[in-house]
Amino acid sequence: MPWFTVGKPLDKMRASLLMGASFVLPLLLWSIAAYGPFWSNSKEITIASDTDDKDGFAGAIAPGDVFEADRFSAYQDAVRNDNKALEAAQSTPEPGQSRANMKVLRSIFPVAKEEGWLTQDQEKDYDALFDVWGRIAENEKGAASAISDENLPIVQQNWARLSKASTSYDEAAFVDDVPLLRLVPEAIDKKGRPVFLPAPHEVLSTAIRDFSGNSKLGDLMLGERYIDSIRTIVSGFVIACLIGVPIALLCGTFSFFSRLIEPFVDFFRYMPAPAFGTLLVALFGIQSAPKVALVVIGTLPQMILMVANTTRMIDGALLDAAQTLGAKRPQLVSKVVIPGILPMLYNDLRILLGWAWTWLVIAELIGTKVGLTELIDTHGRRFHFDHVYPWILLIGLTGFVTDQVLSNLRSILFPWVPEAGHSRVRHVLERVGNWLRPGQHKSSQAAAILAKPKEETST
Amino acid sequence: MTATLELPSYKEQSPEVAERFRHLKEREVTLSARGLGKTFSSAQGPVKALSDVNFDVYRRELMCVIGASGCGKSTLIRILAGLEPLTEGEVLIDGKPVAGPGPDRGMVFQSYTLFPWLTVKKNVMFGLKMTGSSEMTAESEAMQWIELVGLSGFEDSYPHQLSGGMKQRVAIARALANRPRILLMDEPFGALDAQTRAQMQSYLLQIWRNVDVTILFITHDLDEAVHLSDRILVLDRNPGRVNEIIEVPVGQPRTTRQFLQPEFLATKGRVSELIHPPRETSDEHLPIFKMTRVGDEVV
Ligand SMILES: Nc1ncnc2c1ncn2[C@@H]1O[C@H](COP(=O)(O)OP(=O)(O)O)[C@@H](O)[C@H]1O
Ligand SMILES: [Mg+2]
Repeated sequence: MPWFTVGKPLDKMRASLLMGASFVLPLLLWSIAAYGPFWSNSKEITIASDTDDKDGFAGAIAPGDVFEADRFSAYQDAVRNDNKALEAAQSTPEPGQSRANMKVLRSIFPVAKEEGWLTQDQEKDYDALFDVWGRIAENEKGAASAISDENLPIVQQNWARLSKASTSYDEAAFVDDVPLLRLVPEAIDKKGRPVFLPAPHEVLSTAIRDFSGNSKLGDLMLGERYIDSIRTIVSGFVIACLIGVPIALLCGTFSFFSRLIEPFVDFFRYMPAPAFGTLLVALFGIQSAPKVALVVIGTLPQMILMVANTTRMIDGALLDAAQTLGAKRPQLVSKVVIPGILPMLYNDLRILLGWAWTWLVIAELIGTKVGLTELIDTHGRRFHFDHVYPWILLIGLTGFVTDQVLSNLRSILFPWVPEAGHSRVRHVLERVGNWLRPGQHKSSQAAAILAKPKEETST
Repeated sequence: MTATLELPSYKEQSPEVAERFRHLKEREVTLSARGLGKTFSSAQGPVKALSDVNFDVYRRELMCVIGASGCGKSTLIRILAGLEPLTEGEVLIDGKPVAGPGPDRGMVFQSYTLFPWLTVKKNVMFGLKMTGSSEMTAESEAMQWIELVGLSGFEDSYPHQLSGGMKQRVAIARALANRPRILLMDEPFGALDAQTRAQMQSYLLQIWRNVDVTILFITHDLDEAVHLSDRILVLDRNPGRVNEIIEVPVGQPRTTRQFLQPEFLATKGRVSELIHPPRETSDEHLPIFKMTRVGDEVV
C-alpha cells in the first residue's frame, strides 16, 4: 500500500508511526537548531586563576568570562605550568608571597557561592574562605565533588600548608614564604546560542529542577500556581456551560430563540474578549473573579453558536418518529433532542475547553497577574527562557492530555455511537477485562451474532 | 412477433376473492381521506403536490399506495400521520377528524429512525412510556413485541449493531407496541437488498395475519404492491391524485408461489400500465453511435 492515497486512511502501523513522528519532528528541528554547527563552541569560566604567562593572557580573568575552547585549554596549561614552577619554588622558601596567596585563597569563592556555602558579599571574607578550603580538602559532606579531580590534590596540598600555619585564618600567621598552588581553571560548556534558544537538555534539566522545587530562581510555587490556573479555567468553563448549553439548546431547538439570540451573539463574538479586561477588573475587582469572567466571556459566544448548530443537526426523522409514537413538545426536547445530540455536545465542549486555555492565559494577565502565566510573563521579560519553556509546555501538555482522555472517554460514555469500537482506552480496558477473567475470552453467543449482523433465514 | 400470454382481466375475481372483498367492505372504515390537497410554497412559487385525494381504508385491510417517484406518496402519508399540515380536506380516523401526529397512527419510515442511544428494548418501550404506561408494563409488553418480530436475544443491542432488516423489524415492533389504529409505512423496505426485502415482506404478512392491525403501505415496487395488498391505490403525478383503486384478485393467504399466477401478472400489468404510460418515443429511435479505437477495429 502506498503512503499517499487520496482519501484513504493509512494502515494502523503507519498511522502510529506518523503519530510518533509528528512529535519527534519538532523535537528534531529544535535539536538541530540548538546543537547544530551554527553557534560557536565556547567555555564559560567558573574557576579563574592568575597566570604568569602575561603575554598569552594579559589582563584579569574572572569567573563568567567566556573563552573559545582552544584558548581555554591554553589557559589551563598556562596555570599548570605556573604550578610546576611554584612547586619547584616551594623547596626554597622566600617571603613576600602573601598577596599572591590571598588571591589563590579567593579563587575558591565562585565554587563556594555556587554550592551555597557563601553568599555574594563574602567574596573577601577570608575567615569563611579559609574554612571552605578546609571543607573541600577534608571532603566534609562530599564537598570535594564541587571541584574537579585535578584540583582536589591541589586543594589538599594547599590546605596542608594553610592548616599547618594556623587552624583558622589569621593574617599574621598566614603563609607568606611558600607560594600556594593555583587552582586549574574550570569552565562549563557554553554554546553561543541566543537566549531564546536554550538546548533541549538545558530545558529538561531546568524543568526537573523547577518542578522538583529546587529552582535556581527561588521558590516558584509551581504546584500552587498550576492548581490556581486549573481552578480558574475549570470554574470559568463550568459557568460558561451552565449558561451557554441551555441557551444553545433553546436556540437549536426553537427557531424563535435562534432568531432572537444568535445574531447578537454572532456580533459579540467578534469583539475580542481581552478588550473587556479592564472593564471586568472594574466590575469584579482584581482577584480571581475577573479572570473567571474573562474565560466565561471568551468561551460563551462560541459555545452558544457551536452547540446551537450541533442541536440543529438532530435527525428530523427521529423527531417525526417520536411524534408518531406520542411524544409531545417537552418530551421531544428531553427524550429525543438532548440524548440525540449528547455525543456531539460532548465533542463540542471538549473542543471549547481547548480554546478556554487561550482565554486563561490572557485572563491571568489582567488585574493582579497570577498563576503560571505570571511566571511566564515575569521570567520571559528577564530572558529566563530555559525556565519559561517548560511552564508553557506544561500548559500545552495539560490541555493535550485532558483532550485525549476526554476523547477516549467518549466511547465509554456513549456506547451506542458506532465508532465506539475503535477507542484505544476501551480496547485496553477490554483486554484487561479478558485477562482478569480467564475462560471468558469467548463472548456470549448473542454478542457473537451481533459482531456480524446477518439476516437469519426465515423458517 | 412472439406469442403473448393471454391473461385474464385484473377485474375477474374468483368467488372466494369476491366474497372476501364483500366482507372487507362491510367492515368499519378505519382511515378516511376526504378531499386531501397539499400545496407547498417554494421559492419558485406554489407547488401543488396533492389534489382532491379521496379513499377509505377498512379495518384490518392492507392497502398499498403505488406511484412514480415524486408523485406525492410521502407527502400523502406524512399528512395522514399528521407530520405535514394539509391545505385542503381532512383526515378521519374511525370517523373522527384528526390534526397533528398521534400514537393512534404508527409510522415506519424508509430511513432508519430507531433512536440510536436506546437499546432495542428501550426503543420499543419508547411509545408505551410516552402514552403513559408504567416502566414495568412497558417492558413486559416490549418483550412480547420483540418476540413477535423474531428478535428475542437482541433486546439489549443498540441499533447500530443490527442489520437493516432487523432495524426495520424493530421499527415495526415499536410502532405496533402503541396499538395504533393504523400502521403507516413509507417504503419501509426500500433501502434493503432484494433478498432481505422478500423476507421482510413475508414477515410483514405474517405479522399482519396475527395482529389486529390495519396497514397503509407505500411502495414503488410493482411485485411488492401486488404481493402484499388487498387493494392498491395508484397515485398519478403532477399533482398527485387517485387514478384507480385496484382490488387485487389474488387469493389469501399470500405466498411467493403466487408471483406467476395469471391474476397476479394481470394485476401487475395493469398497475404498470397506469404508472408507466406508453412513451411516445421508443428506445429504438436513439441515434446510432459507433465507438471504436482507431487502428484497433475488430472485423
Ligand atoms: N417541503 C417541500 N417543499 C416543496 N415541495 C415539496 C416539498 N416536499 C415535497 N415536495 C414536492 O412534492 C412532490 C411530491 O414529493 P414526495 O411526496 O416526496 O414524492 P414521493 O414520495 O412520491 O417520491 C415532489 O414534486 C416534491 O418536489
Ligand atoms: Mg417518498
